[in-house]
Amino acid sequence: MEKIEVKICAGTACFVMGAPQIQALEFSAPEDIADRIEIVEVRCMNHCNKGSGYNKGPFVEVNGELIEEATMEKVVAKIRELIAKEDEENC
Amino acid sequence: MNSSLFIEISSYQEHKYTESCFGDAVLSKKLPEEQRIISVLSDGLGSGVKANILSSMTTRMAMKFIESDLDLVRSAGIMMQALPICQIRKISYATFSIVDAILDGKTRIYEMDNPQCIIVRDAKQLNVSHHEITADNWKDRIINVYQFVAQEEDRIIIMSDGVTQAGLGNPKYPLGWQREGVWTFIENQVRRKPHISASALAEAIVHEALTKEPEEKAGDDISCTVIYFRKPRKLLLLSGPPFDEEKDKEVAELLDYYDGKTAICGGTTANIIERELCLKCEIDKTTFDPNIPMASVMPGIDLVTEGILTLTDVYRMLKEGIDEDKDNAAVRLTRLLLDSDKIDFVIGTKINEAHQDPNLPMELDIRRNIVKKIFRLLQSKFLKEISVKYV
Ligand code: FES
Repeated sequence: MEKIEVKICAGTACFVMGAPQIQALEFSAPEDIADRIEIVEVRCMNHCNKGSGYNKGPFVEVNGELIEEATMEKVVAKIRELIAKEDEENC
Repeated sequence: MNSSLFIEISSYQEHKYTESCFGDAVLSKKLPEEQRIISVLSDGLGSGVKANILSSMTTRMAMKFIESDLDLVRSAGIMMQALPICQIRKISYATFSIVDAILDGKTRIYEMDNPQCIIVRDAKQLNVSHHEITADNWKDRIINVYQFVAQEEDRIIIMSDGVTQAGLGNPKYPLGWQREGVWTFIENQVRRKPHISASALAEAIVHEALTKEPEEKAGDDISCTVIYFRKPRKLLLLSGPPFDEEKDKEVAELLDYYDGKTAICGGTTANIIERELCLKCEIDKTTFDPNIPMASVMPGIDLVTEGILTLTDVYRMLKEGIDEDKDNAAVRLTRLLLDSDKIDFVIGTKINEAHQDPNLPMELDIRRNIVKKIFRLLQSKFLKEISVKYV
């Protein structure tokens, strides 16, 4: 089974907006998702630089889907959603 | 200094445990125009504040006199006259050791009443003959003068008697550690670690002296300065994207052809180098720290870190001391800076729009400001040779 890729931005703007709390996924992911995800830390993905005029960081991409103003809960919810979908398809 | 040789000077001190300030004083200075360094170590009579005043005055006066190439006999006379007289002992007194070294030229050492200096060459003591001089009005005070031409990998160690007498009062060392003991320790160190830095050696000597003391508490002020002649360790630190994108390539090549260690500070900067030099850059998870963004690894580059937060923390540690218990990106960068003698900063001046956002929970200083603070400190406090180029 392919793992779900969780890209966490480790750039400055995302970092000060709270990325370290999400980086904790690396060490303390909830049990049901721990084996199903792969965490990739990336440098600035340039989302902070464009658009709306105010910072919507931290930014996380889960299997390519962008999450703005990401929090641990939001990211975990997204991962669970994708896992559920995958499991359904595999049935 | 454009000589191929470099002089690293570093001191380490421990004060008498019953006091709260150093009775010994150390002072070093580089005179880049003359390719010259001067280092002074003085031990003031007694300990605590009074001793501190005597020794600080002595180091400052000695520095001024030597720097202005004044006649030493006269200078010594003036110094002794100028020192305040101790109310109890009715004498004014402070010792000194002065090293005056000119790169690729003569090195002179002047020493009055401090333990005899140790000169190390090829892991052996170099015996340099000396002559004695006395100041006219102080016939009983003898100044030893040494002169020799220093070579690459030579070291000079000067110290206060707190080092050689460490252990007095401890039944195991009835006569103290003594100069011979100190030498055996140094010999051991340089045989085991032939390239040990001046700072590491000075610290090791003082720590070893402490272990001899009763209860490992300094019974006297313990000070040591090490002067190490060696090839300079160079570092290029690149931070920030160039103002003009057309310069990207040029900057990347600077990094590529540099004859020393290299570091990149800043995500966008790393992206540029990654693109220009076709390198792969990956985050190094072993540097995880909730307060400092992780470092990355890029082949051929010694360290890649985030920019402004890391630099801010580096500045804090340069001021307050390194976080010994951590191994995050900022600690690694601080170590790299401290281990280098010549540091070339290349600072990109393009402003990062994302950092100007008023919604950010903290103020992000402009890169230029924090880098300026860092290199000033590296220059004044750590005597590094710095060059800065804005692109
Ligand atoms: S810092 Fe995260 S997208 Fe720019």
